[in-house]
Amino acid sequence: MNTADVHTLLGPYVLDAVDDIERAAFDRHLRECDACRADVSELREASARLADGAWSVPPPGLRDNVLAAIGSVRQIAPISPAPAPAPATAPARSSRRLRLVSAAAAVVVAAAGAATAAYTLQDHRVRVEQARAEAAQAAESRVRALLASPDLVVKEEPVTGGGRVTVATSKLHDAGVIMLAADAAPSDGRVFQLWTIRSAVPIPEGTLAPGQTAAVQIVEGMGQASDVGVSVEPPGGSKTPTTPLAADVKL
Amino acid sequence: MAERGTSRRPEHLSAVPDPDPDPGDLLRAVAGGDEKAFARLYDLVAPRVYGLIRRVLRDPAQSEEVAQEVLVEVWRSAARFDPARGSATSWICTIAHRRAVDRVRSEQAASERLTYVGRAQVDVPYDAVADEVSGRLERQQVRRCLHDLTDLQREAVTLAYYQGHTYPQVAELLGAPLPTVKTRMRDGLIRLRDCLGAGAVA
Ligand SMILES: [Zn+2]
Repeated sequence: MNTADVHTLLGPYVLDAVDDIERAAFDRHLRECDACRADVSELREASARLADGAWSVPPPGLRDNVLAAIGSVRQIAPISPAPAPAPATAPARSSRRLRLVSAAAAVVVAAAGAATAAYTLQDHRVRVEQARAEAAQAAESRVRALLASPDLVVKEEPVTGGGRVTVATSKLHDAGVIMLAADAAPSDGRVFQLWTIRSAVPIPEGTLAPGQTAAVQIVEGMGQASDVGVSVEPPGGSKTPTTPLAADVKL
Repeated sequence: MAERGTSRRPEHLSAVPDPDPDPGDLLRAVAGGDEKAFARLYDLVAPRVYGLIRRVLRDPAQSEEVAQEVLVEVWRSAARFDPARGSATSWICTIAHRRAVDRVRSEQAASERLTYVGRAQVDVPYDAVADEVSGRLERQQVRRCLHDLTDLQREAVTLAYYQGHTYPQVAELLGAPLPTVKTRMRDGLIRLRDCLGAGAVA
């Protein structure tokens, strides 16, 4: 995207009407362009006033929940004026990513059923080569964008009973992908359920169908999560894990 | 409708509020770990944060969950607030809006309701939304200012902001070319800014 194109995203960017790739491109541009930075600040003041029209009394429990939650949340230190750029991809990291990508391709195919997808690694970008079922496309392109993110961090843990769970997160996207590939489905018709742990509270992130052993799940707001967990639950999932975690990935 | 006065904690009832403190001052205190300042900031901004998220997400339970995430995030990252780049309220609303939009899009992707490039099959006609928005904004300055926009500017801005649509989705809904929609969003915001007198913040 050239500079002239990036400038036209100003309005959509302020309204959060861009996709993640455009947002990342514009964020990069803002670091270099004083004029756009000033425009964004001013127009954000205006767009925030649109929230005046949505004013609504919050549920009564929210205040206590929020005030209780902050007790266990560590605050970040002020950001340094010149944040360090994302480290260059080291060779060790590329081979890790290659492994991840093939794992992702396998589980995307498994999860999408009839869909077919092929990934190649080219110049540290993941490229989708083949058309696929339209239903899977939105999620899949999101996965692709996340896996191609320059600041991708990958963590992996074994799953009790065989298999592994891989979590790829990007601060740039404030999102992550959970990729579960278990060797076998839980017994007794029970199912796998995915969780993030945020402020010490488990948040359900998706439940697999009975018999399902692989899944790819996109999680937004991953920056708030300290762990990703997998548990075994009754069909349909639970509100909070009812068994010890079968896998726990510390982020 | 429930209100804060129903809180089980008596100290919330007995407190006689001081004149509204400045959110920016509170946020700076919050950055230093001041929980009392955070509680006061909560009272100032929570209805706007929750209301905005609810407007975008519609589902009350999800809205409460996302509002909690956002408010905890405000606590966590208060040190990142830079008054040179805008007001505290705008900074908080930006976090809330972004989080709501991210959630609504991930819900759409997850449920595969969104035929992203297909012919639009959006369940709410834009004029109904615009009417609803106008109704809720009764007696507010922002309503008057929205009326100052051209129809296309207003529709482009409100479809994106209140419903979380991307600009290609807005273009599809309005049957307008992409470059036009991008321009209308920018020009609409500029006009809104001028009308609200919300110009440069020192
Ligand atoms: Zn620029």
